[in-house]
Amino acid sequence: MTATRVLLVDDELSFSQALAKVLARRGFIVATAASGEEALARLAARPWDVVLLDVKMPDRDGLAVLADIRTMPDPPEVIMLTGHLSRQEEEAGLSGGAFAYLLKPHPIPDLERHIRQAARHRHLRRRQTTYPPSTEGGEP
Amino acid sequence: MTDHSRPTDYRAMLVALVRRVLLVSVLPLIVIASANFLLFFSLNRSIVLDQQANLLRYHRESIEAFLANLTAEVTALAHQYPREELVNGHLERLFQVLQQSAKVITDIGVIDSAGQHLKYVGPFDLAGRNYRATEWFAEVVERGYYISDVFTGFRAVPHFIIAVKRAEGNDFWILRVTVNTDYFSRLVDAAHVGRTGETFIVNREGRFQTKTRFGDHLLEPSGFPDLSFHEGIKVRSLKMGGVSYLCTTTWLSNPRWLLIFRQQVRDVYAPLRNAVVVGLLMSAAGVLGAGVLAVLFAHRQVQALKRADAENEALLRRLVATGKTAAVGEMSAGLAHEINNPLATIDTLQTWIRDLAGSPAMSEADRLEVLDAASKIGDQVARCKAITQGLLKFARRVDASPQPVLLSPMLEEMATVMRARARIEGITLEADLADVPAVLGAPAHLQQIFMNLINNALDATSGRGDGRVVIRTRASADAVRVEIQDNGPGIPPEHLSSIFLPFFTTKPVGKGTGLGLAICYGLVQELHGSIEVDSRPGHGTTFTVTLPRAAQEGT
Repeated sequence: MTATRVLLVDDELSFSQALAKVLARRGFIVATAASGEEALARLAARPWDVVLLDVKMPDRDGLAVLADIRTMPDPPEVIMLTGHLSRQEEEAGLSGGAFAYLLKPHPIPDLERHIRQAARHRHLRRRQTTYPPSTEGGEP
Repeated sequence: MTDHSRPTDYRAMLVALVRRVLLVSVLPLIVIASANFLLFFSLNRSIVLDQQANLLRYHRESIEAFLANLTAEVTALAHQYPREELVNGHLERLFQVLQQSAKVITDIGVIDSAGQHLKYVGPFDLAGRNYRATEWFAEVVERGYYISDVFTGFRAVPHFIIAVKRAEGNDFWILRVTVNTDYFSRLVDAAHVGRTGETFIVNREGRFQTKTRFGDHLLEPSGFPDLSFHEGIKVRSLKMGGVSYLCTTTWLSNPRWLLIFRQQVRDVYAPLRNAVVVGLLMSAAGVLGAGVLAVLFAHRQVQALKRADAENEALLRRLVATGKTAAVGEMSAGLAHEINNPLATIDTLQTWIRDLAGSPAMSEADRLEVLDAASKIGDQVARCKAITQGLLKFARRVDASPQPVLLSPMLEEMATVMRARARIEGITLEADLADVPAVLGAPAHLQQIFMNLINNALDATSGRGDGRVVIRTRASADAVRVEIQDNGPGIPPEHLSSIFLPFFTTKPVGKGTGLGLAICYGLVQELHGSIEVDSRPGHGTTFTVTLPRAAQEGT
């Protein structure tokens, strides 16, 4: 079983770097991106299973980045993480195709569960579509 | 919390406004009217007096002219015919001639120098009388002509005569006419003025020489009090028989008679008085009109003011409510975001520390220390998180769709659930729930409001042993009232104004976030209701939430 590939997108590096270490220790393949642009570039370069996406970023709004991600072929699942839970943004995110919409700080064990569920979800979805079987996705 | 600002006294305002408008409108009216009256009165008085003097002057002239003409006419006739011609038949014709124009005279006669009435034409049987002893005979013999006062004479009827002496040879004779006193009286009292005005003549003794308008007879004493001679016209007020008269008098030159025009003073000024009455009535109408207008005007102004005040107050309330909630909400959201981000980092690093503590390279004692420290960091993060989540809940404008909710069953359910906690802490939780109509709101919000209030009440009474919390519902005309009453220590008066502000708490650190009542306040505002607190230290606290009842559907 190949490890789940998780891309952390957050302008607050202290958070994304700490979370990257914690997730890596739990068996995920983790990379970080400090902005929306950098995230899109990394996603274009290689396929990823799950993206943890901050909503408030200096260059681009997380919801706009989500919209771009959803137009990509074979897109990753996106979990939105925000410090400011607003009902409108949550609805926009979920209707925009986010797998989950979580409030920071979120307990690590629960976050880990969400990531695994998202990865499984992506795996199942890819099976139902015409995409060839992924070599990277799936449950460990 | 109720606002006990004093209500505006609109009634007093109305009264003051009416008074002011009346003063401004009525005072000038009164001043102008008074000035007009004074001017009008004095002007008219002098006009009336002048008029009377002038009238009497013309009247005297015409009366004097009449007597002079008649005397001249008799004189001319006496000189036109010798005595014998008149005595022997001409006198009748002469009488007819004299009577042609008007019945100015009643009889005519010829008297010889011995006073013997030689010839008489007239209604009385006077032929053959001798006048030698009469006063008038002596006068006419001496003067040549004479106009007598009114006297009775042989005929026993009051009359006056004009007599002219005619010398013929060495002898003389007298032509005498009796003036028609009715005609003369009518001439004198030619024009009746007003209701009481009359013109008449009295002689020097004050006896009537003419009949008066009101039936006084000739020769009766007139009682006119001022018979002293004066030149020209004299006007004055005199009292006669208890009545005040305005009297205008003038003395005729021949005979010496007093021509009097008199009119009751009341009558003289009657038109004036009428004018004054009309003027007063008009002024009164004006004042009344001004009063009505003043009241209407003042009423409208006060109504407008009342409306404006009500609008202002409503606006102010809305601004305070939405302004307070919105500002605090915005601030809370921002604050939560700023705290949540570092909190996320701390929490993640705490997990990382725990992960690292699992490494076998660490001593057992150190591992326990590190894990303990990480656990404490985790607790503090959880505490911070509770605060930020509370803040966000407060800030969030949850647009859950409102629906009619029956509060009593909902509160009964909540009371049942919370009685478990109450029993443990020795508190009696009573539900005194009436059958109240539904209110409009999101059930979750309503639950949150009452959950907060009931929890607060339980907190306030816990640990006392005799704690008692009552949940009460009552219906009013258009609202439903929910009371949460406790017998706790009460809220100090100095805290009452702050309890609905976010972060205000008196609970021990870590026990309360200070957001419960602020959330209640925001939610109640959103439901267009009100929340009030009544608390007396030592006696307990009652929170009262009043919510508008849902509009009845169908019937």
